[in-house]
Amino acid sequence: MKVIQVRCPNCNSPIMSKQRDLLFLCQQCGTLHVRDGGVNLVDYEIADFAKSAPIQGRTYVPFWRIYANFTILSKNSSGGSMYKLANWIKGGGGDSGDVFIFVPAPDFDPPTFKRLATDFTANWPKYSTRLDFGGVPRLPANLPKEEAVKLAHFVIITMEAEKPGVLQTLDYTLDVKDARIIFLPFNSTPDGLRPGL
Amino acid sequence: MPDEALSVGLSCPSCGGAVSIEEGESVINCRYCDSMLFIEGDMGIQTVAFKNKVDPQRAMQAAEAWWKKGFKARDLKKVGKTTEVYPIYLPFWSTTIKVAGWVCGYEEKTRSDSKGNTTTERVYKEVMVLQDHRFSQIACDPGDLGIRSLRNFSGERTFEDFTMIPTFETTSSVDEARKQAEAEAVEQARRGAGVPHITFERIYTVPRKMSVIYYPIWVVRYSYRDRMYVVTVDGVGGQILSGRAPGDPLYQSMAITGGTAVAGLVSGFGLVFATLEAGGSSGYIAIFALAIGAGVLYATYRFFRNGSEIIEGEFQGKRGEIGNPLDVGEILKTLEGFRP
Amino acid sequence: MGTASVGCPKCGARVEFDAGSKFVRCSYCASQIYIDRSGAGFYYILPFLVREDNAVGIFKRWAAGPTKAKYLDQRAQLAGSKRQYFPVYMFKRLVDGKELIRVEPAGSTTLPGLHELKVPAGDLKVFDSKYDVGGVPLIQPDIEMGAYLEKLPGAGKEQALVFFPIWTLDYVHDGKRYQVVIDGSSGEVFAADFPKRGSGPYLAVAGVGYFAFLAEALLSYFSPWLAAMLIAVTVVCVFAASLFVAWRM
Repeated sequence: MKVIQVRCPNCNSPIMSKQRDLLFLCQQCGTLHVRDGGVNLVDYEIADFAKSAPIQGRTYVPFWRIYANFTILSKNSSGGSMYKLANWIKGGGGDSGDVFIFVPAPDFDPPTFKRLATDFTANWPKYSTRLDFGGVPRLPANLPKEEAVKLAHFVIITMEAEKPGVLQTLDYTLDVKDARIIFLPFNSTPDGLRPGL
Repeated sequence: MPDEALSVGLSCPSCGGAVSIEEGESVINCRYCDSMLFIEGDMGIQTVAFKNKVDPQRAMQAAEAWWKKGFKARDLKKVGKTTEVYPIYLPFWSTTIKVAGWVCGYEEKTRSDSKGNTTTERVYKEVMVLQDHRFSQIACDPGDLGIRSLRNFSGERTFEDFTMIPTFETTSSVDEARKQAEAEAVEQARRGAGVPHITFERIYTVPRKMSVIYYPIWVVRYSYRDRMYVVTVDGVGGQILSGRAPGDPLYQSMAITGGTAVAGLVSGFGLVFATLEAGGSSGYIAIFALAIGAGVLYATYRFFRNGSEIIEGEFQGKRGEIGNPLDVGEILKTLEGFRP
Repeated sequence: MGTASVGCPKCGARVEFDAGSKFVRCSYCASQIYIDRSGAGFYYILPFLVREDNAVGIFKRWAAGPTKAKYLDQRAQLAGSKRQYFPVYMFKRLVDGKELIRVEPAGSTTLPGLHELKVPAGDLKVFDSKYDVGGVPLIQPDIEMGAYLEKLPGAGKEQALVFFPIWTLDYVHDGKRYQVVIDGSSGEVFAADFPKRGSGPYLAVAGVGYFAFLAEALLSYFSPWLAAMLIAVTVVCVFAASLFVAWRM
């Protein structure tokens, strides 16, 4: 057993943090990496807060954004079957296309997890990116990439199941092309997290 | 024997300060210099211990109160004598697993109207499972203690009593426990979804850190006519966890007398009713009556045959021993199988 | 007692640790120390928690169980008891990053239960010259640890020789000699062979009772009063027969 100091694989600066976080973000060169069975660099984006978002309670929440080709090979629903077009799939002919799946990376309770995942996957957030957090705190990530891909499957099945009709069978392929971290802006309010986009 | 090569000092490679490793975590941050640290190799397992809240008096009283309950030997409270009361710490693997998935399919419902026509209807179901599953399993061989999982996860946590109370060590593999935790989580999600005929199922599990909980348990040994029995008492809540006790022939024979009477009469009257009412659904009534009779007969026979020893707790998996003779869940399951 | 010690790599003080701990804290300089067990072989021992009178009582409880011959607890003649420490090897291996625990016998034996090979529940203590076994004989290991190590998969995480406490009780029933082993830590009983209790009389009472009541229910269609009388008689008969079986058979 060995205790090692985590250093940036790009510029070799030590990574500092006041909280336990699976995402190691270098303050010097901005490189983000994870250590699950080796040192792996992760691409990331930081979304800017909307001008209308309140200053109070600003927080960044890391999401795994899984970019994948989703193809429905066959689907069978009972009732409401006229609802055929997978309307959330863009750039493709109805039952096949490229999708962005948003999987929250912090440890949320099940209802919050589901709400955030399906809301952003159904309506991909539009944002302008920035290079730093501008002093806004961020929630630590607790979900490795491999587990995020598993949960991406759950999210797309949820999208399909929650359409009208009772889902009976779903045969699909999900071909993951890219997984990156998106820090999305939120305001933490007494009623929970509110998107700050 | 142990020598200096065994010990590895743990200090922050950056500032040299002593680091406090929360076992089971591969990522920690140094509390002096904020450096992120990563553990390579064996990172151990986090352990917690619950404080013992029960004294020998209370454990004994709980055991003796238990003697009076149920179908145990009637003279147990007079003849039984507590001979030994001592606490132990038992280790349990414990974790929560995030379960996410969908179970789709249908349920078939059979209805019969007043004219005796029966129709089978399919009720389609799509059920989302999204929950945190709590898992616990004893981390050593439970021997003859009859305890396999934890029911209580709350209580004061401290290692204070560790030197006073014999502590049973973990002797089962953590990865084996992980595998079982995932299988149990999936199984429970599937059962909780309640879809009898499954046409589509995807259940994903996200494992989290496994820890070991040391739980205080009181062992109460008592004698009854030269025999030595054992009862275990929860050291936090003070309730009975498991135990063996002598049975009573009177209850055994009362059970089988009542059982054969109810089973025989219900079956007989069911057949009589079916012949009188030669309608469409009378066949079902006869089968249902026979099924109830078989269920009652089976349950009471088991008690008649094995009721000379009353067993409570999780003793299953023992070869040559028959489980709890009054397992209501199992009886209901048997009945379920007969339902038309 | 029952613990071992290492030198603190920081300040050199002796630090005691228990059989189960991976991390200990030095009581002088407060630094945390990791105990690396991958190279060394450890000796552990489980103390007896079951005394001799308890062992006999546990045997009698077991003998009175529903699968054993009726009155075995009273009729079995105890023909000797002895306590011993039985040796097994416990190997913790790392195979493809997963922990695997294997338990293998270190002494050859024909005793029942000891071939199931598990380390029974108990308060594992480090066994060294300071440990007092209280005059209980140790069965010396006659199988080499190396013989197993060569065949085991993966890399070693820990290997230990564990002595666990057993009671061996011999008893005679109907002129035949039997043997049980009682785990001296948790009180579990192991037996390869024992006088069994037949289910025949029990099944007979249940079967005859059931069909008698069934026939009487059918009879009630023709003659309710006769059926009621017969049912009352059957209740008494089944009760008496079953009580006799439960007492005696």
